[in-house]
Parts: sequence; structure tokens; C-alpha cells
Amino acid sequence: MNNRRLGKIMSPVNKLALLTFCTALFMAGSAAAKPGTAAKGKEIYDKRCTWCHGADGAGDGAAKDRLNPPPRDFTSGNYKIRTSAFDDMVPTDDDVFRMIRDGMPNTAMPSWSSLLSEQDMWDLVAYVKSFAKYDKPPAKLVEYGTQIKSSAESIEKGKKLFEEGDRCVECHGKAGKGSASKRLKGDAGERTWPRNLTKPWIFRGSNDPKDIYTRISTGIAGTEMPSFADPKSKKKLTEEERWHVANYVASLAKGKDKTVNAENTVVKADKVEGELPSTVEDERWEKTSPTTFYLVPQIIGGERFFTPSDDTITVRAMYNDKTVAMLLEWDDRTKSIPGDDAAEKIADAPIAEDGVAVQLPVEIPKEMQKPYFGMGDATHPVNIWHWKSGTKDAGETVNLLNSKGFKEIEKRDAAGVGLKAKSSYVDGTWKVLITRPLTTSSADKDIQFSEGRFIPIAFAAWDGSNSEKGSKHTMTTWYWLLLKPATGSKPLITALIVAGLFLGGLLWWARSAKSAA
Amino acid sequence: MTKKRLIPRLLQLVLIIIGVYFGFILLFDVALHQIIPKSLLTMYMLFVVAGTAMVFTFTEEGAQELVGPIKALVEDPSKKMIRNVVFVIVPLLAGYYTYTSMLPSFEAPMELRTIHPAPPSKFKAFGKSYNLTTLQNPYRKFEKEDPAKFKGLVKEGGDVYIKNCQYCHGDKLDGNGPYASGLNPTPLNFQDVGTIAQLQESFLFWRISTGGPGLPQEAAPWISAMPVWQDYLTEDEIWKVILFLYNYTGRAPRSWANE
Repeated sequence: MNNRRLGKIMSPVNKLALLTFCTALFMAGSAAAKPGTAAKGKEIYDKRCTWCHGADGAGDGAAKDRLNPPPRDFTSGNYKIRTSAFDDMVPTDDDVFRMIRDGMPNTAMPSWSSLLSEQDMWDLVAYVKSFAKYDKPPAKLVEYGTQIKSSAESIEKGKKLFEEGDRCVECHGKAGKGSASKRLKGDAGERTWPRNLTKPWIFRGSNDPKDIYTRISTGIAGTEMPSFADPKSKKKLTEEERWHVANYVASLAKGKDKTVNAENTVVKADKVEGELPSTVEDERWEKTSPTTFYLVPQIIGGERFFTPSDDTITVRAMYNDKTVAMLLEWDDRTKSIPGDDAAEKIADAPIAEDGVAVQLPVEIPKEMQKPYFGMGDATHPVNIWHWKSGTKDAGETVNLLNSKGFKEIEKRDAAGVGLKAKSSYVDGTWKVLITRPLTTSSADKDIQFSEGRFIPIAFAAWDGSNSEKGSKHTMTTWYWLLLKPATGSKPLITALIVAGLFLGGLLWWARSAKSAA
Repeated sequence: MTKKRLIPRLLQLVLIIIGVYFGFILLFDVALHQIIPKSLLTMYMLFVVAGTAMVFTFTEEGAQELVGPIKALVEDPSKKMIRNVVFVIVPLLAGYYTYTSMLPSFEAPMELRTIHPAPPSKFKAFGKSYNLTTLQNPYRKFEKEDPAKFKGLVKEGGDVYIKNCQYCHGDKLDGNGPYASGLNPTPLNFQDVGTIAQLQESFLFWRISTGGPGLPQEAAPWISAMPVWQDYLTEDEIWKVILFLYNYTGRAPRSWANE
């Protein structure tokens, strides 16, 4: 695409953004010229960084045990995101600067550019590097050869290399979701999870093909992600092959379904004539519009939980004149089956069942006040539909709970109100279909669904291989469920009438003008 | 007689109205990031349209010149082709507008948030009653009396913060922790001059120890995810974490002495 065409299709706002971006790039490049001072960096470090990374850079700050990934131990000399050659552990100054400026997405490490000046960050680079006694730049950098632009052909080649001999599939899974067949460990002995490649916003070092190429080439220090540029590796890839794999990995991030859109807080259930889908595979689910929410660890009540592995949940819904059906979908790298040897081996002991829960108010609020989002409160009880994946000896179950806060829980008969659930687990993704009749015979204990009303709804999920059980789980705050009323033909008919009136008026005007002339 | 203009009067009118509309959008939505509610924008635009039309039709001559092209379109036989096109487009647009505005909207209900609810004069926590008007941070005095001890207390507060609060309020105390985007309302930004700098330490102690469930009745919409920290932290830890919040952000608490 030449520049003139680019100019035409870009809005002024985009142009401005591009300009800012280019300026930022230029400044980032030129800023490398001013070296930082370690002594000044220490002052900043002692105020901002010790909390996680520790006073001596050993990654042993107060937060250490409540973070996964744990804070980097700078004395180890391992830097995950670097551009030096695979056998040279020393990062470039730009590498360290970038991690400070942009942060590490999906970890507790924030982007510091909003609080620290550029000079502050360069001073930090100098100080942080001194923990591993890195005083010289790396001897060799990653070699990129000629970048191969992404194309259908390149992606196809990349896919083959990705799967061939279990090269990447071994850890990242066939669908790239990191559905594990292996238990992985980091250098501090912590559990590490293979990257879910279909969610580009959680890549520590961006999912631009060039960044992916760099990760494939250097490996990720301090983890089990190896270098594929290492000639000694059985799985070695040439420069050209690495570009193909990078293009393929970047292409895995195509689906928008699991991207959270902060504006979209409503699960919209479509009205269906006739039968609702009875399986998670039903094609009609594809036509509904998905809504995705962040899952956050439960830290408000009982035993708290700080190191989650599930991060989002995607919800679809439909209803007919009798029943409402919800399809809950979330990526979970492990199918947790207590009693199953393979599952137990991958899991953090003790293994528990995977699970998901839907929370709804017993009574749809008429005003703004909702039940407390953590399992309701004394005056506002909630219904909780809790699905569990089952063990080696017992199948999946769905429970119905009524609660007024997490200390007052009543277990009820799910079958009695017609609550049913069905699930599937494929390549690192759980799908659970939950159905319940719109109304039940116990209106004082069960939510009675009605069309066109905004119903508060919240979700929770458990990864049983990540020690999640009971109060240790991930959850959302309140969002909305809406049973979309059928639109009917009223808008169309009114629109036609209005258009007709306008046309009539115009014709009448033209006619009277003619006769006047 | 009207002279030939570079831009016809009618087009001028339309351009001014469109210009003002996008001006609003550019100024508020893009530059200031304060999105104007649609109803308010509609009201503004109504005034703009009425005002501009008034200016343009202030003289008889001006009015004539303005409606001239429209009259010509309807009356001039040589403009038959354009007339037919306009006669098709205008009713279609009117119909389309009616159709889209009649489709039911599925936008989530608005929930306005009370940022600083009025505190009660007394509240209960840790099994005792506190008087908010006289409550003071027992450690604040060391800031002047014993700076070395104060530094130690701030450090202890920081450790409490990083182990308990950063998940939502963030390492930078900017309300943007790793799980902030999963919460509604979003966690408070302590770096912002409109938050802790406007409050007394006793107010913070009240909000931290009793959390979201401790909000008073008028503090709609009662959906804060703030935990009830008296369940997890000691009184001492809360006072220390308050020292840390002010120290890290470089802000000073409000106090009766400074009023």
C-alpha cells in the first residue's frame, strides 16, 4: 500500500496517533543516548520497586508469595524479554528500559512511564543491571535475517512447524491455548503456565511478529521456554522458519469473542421460536453475540486467593417461551479430574474439580440497589447455580444454592426447579450449557425471569488444578442479563409511514409550486 | 441584487452547523475525554441550529438568498433530475431515522456513583465505636518528632499495601492494578488530587476498615468491591497503610488544624 492511499483511509485522529507513536519511537531511540546513573536509580528503586523486587533486587519483596508470576530476581541475571542472542544472557539497555516503560502485561508490573520521567527510567536501568553485575552490553544480538511478511502461505508453513514433532504443541497445545500436557516450573520453583497464544493482550512482550520472532529465538530466560535458534536443539528452526512460526502465532489471535469490551456489560439473550439448543456444539450459538468479562481472584471474604489462572469468561444466552439457556465458555489449561493419574500429575496438589457458577438475585431489583456481589446479603438473597466437572468416578454435577452472604448458604434441590447443565472440554476450553425454566413454583426462593428487564448477573470459576476450591476462585462483579424482547414489525411499519408522509408532502409542494407558476 | 458568493449561503449554514457539531465532539470527546451525553448534545445543537438560522435570515434579502436554492429545486423545471433524486433520498432518510430510533436500545442502565459519601459521625469497627470527628492517626505525630521511626512505619505500611491493596489500586497507587479492569466501579486513584488529598485520615480509616458493605445508605449504588479490611488487617496496619498512601503520592491529609 503506498503512502497516499494510506493517507486517504486514515482518519485525522489515527494520523495524530501515528505521529505521536513515531515521535515516541524516535524519542525512545534517541533517549538511549543518555546513560543513566546507578546512584540516582537506587533512590527511585528504593521508593518504587523494593515492595516487590526486594531491597537487594532478589525478588523477595513483601508481595513475593502473593504474585504469580513472582517478581523478577535481578540477581539471577535472567531477563524474560530481551533481544540479545540466545546464548548471551545480558539484556540491552533498551530491553530493560522497555520493560520498565511498558510494564509486563498481565502481571503486577505496571508501565512506569506515567509516573517516572524518561531520565528516571534510564537511571533505573543502570541500577537494576548492577544487581547481576551486568556492566557491558551483550556481545551478540538476535539475528533477524530478512523479515518474511505474513501471508496465507507463510502461516501454513508456520503451522506445520508449530505442530511438527510436537515442537510447540507440547506446551502450547494444538489450539495454542497452552492446554498443558506438562507441568512447568520457573527458576524460582514457581508454577508457570504456557502462554495462551490466542489472547494477544497477555503477551509480556507484545504479539507483533517481530517480537514473537525474538521470543522464539532467545527463549524466555528463567522459564522452560527454550531457544529455537540454538543449533544444539533438536527442535531448532532456521531464521526463515522462525518467521513462519511467528506469523502463525500472530495469526492465532484472530477471534474477538474473548476480548473484553468494557462498554459491553450486558449478556443479551436472543428469543428463539421452538426448541433451545440442547448441546454446547449447536450451530445456533455462533449466531448469538458473545459478552466477555474479566475474572478476578476472590479477595473479599473467607480464605482469599491471589494467584489465578483463568482470566476471562465468555457468555452467550438464548431463551424461548419456557426456558433460558446460557453457554459459558472459558479457557482453562487443565481438565481437572480428581482421581485421574494424568490430571493429578499436572495439577497443584490437592487437585479439585473445575467449576463455574452463575449468580442471580432471587428478586430482580426494582430500584438501583442490588444484593452484595459476594454471594448476596441479609436482605437481598441470591441464587447460585454451581456446576462442577466431576471426578474419575462421578460425572459432572450442578448444584443450586441460595445464599445471604458467604456465611449463610442453603443447599437446594437443583433438579426440583429444572436446573440442568452439560459440558465439553476441548483443547483448553470449557464450555458449559446451563438451562433453567423461566419460572419455578417457588417464586420466593428462585429468580423468575422476565423479558425486557435488566437482571443483575455475576460469574465465578474454579481451576481445580490451580488449588482453587471453595472460597478460592475467580469471579466477576455484577453485570447484566437481558432477555431481549422480539422487536416485532412496529418500527418498520412506522418508518414506512413516515417515509410515505415525507414523499407525499414533497410531491404536494412541487405540485402546488407548478400550478402557482 | 445579491452578489455571486464563493460558497452559497445555504451551504454556509450547513457547514457552520456541521462544524460546530464536530467541534463539540473534538473538544469534549477527543481532547478532554469527557463524552457529552447524547441528550445534552441534542439540546446544544438545537440552540446552534436555531441561532444560526436566525442570523442567516436576519434580513429579508438574506432569507431569500438562503431559501433560494431550495425554492429553485422545487420550482425550476430545469432541475427536474436533482429534484427526483432529492425526493427519493429525503423520505428514505426520514424513514431510516425513524426505524433506528424506534429499535429498542439494550444499553445497560446508568449507575451514577457517589464518590465521597458523607461519613457518619460514629462508626463501629474492631468491636468498638469510633468518633470520626476526633479520630486521628496515632502515628502521624512521628513525622516531625522522630523521622527515622516514621520512615520505618511508612515502610511497614507499604508492605501491607503491596500484599493486600495493589491488586486493584496498583503498584503506582493510580487505581490501575492488575485486576482493576475487572471491577465496576473502578478502584480509586490515590495519585489523583481529588481523592485522598481532599480527605482526612480518619475518613480513610473508616472506608478501609468497613469497606464496600460499610457504605452509608445514601452512597449509591452500593456496589463497591472494597473488602471489609477489619477482617484481614489490624487497626495498626490500617493506620500504617494510610501513612504509606500519603507518603508515596506526596500528598498531605486534610486536618482540622489546617482548615
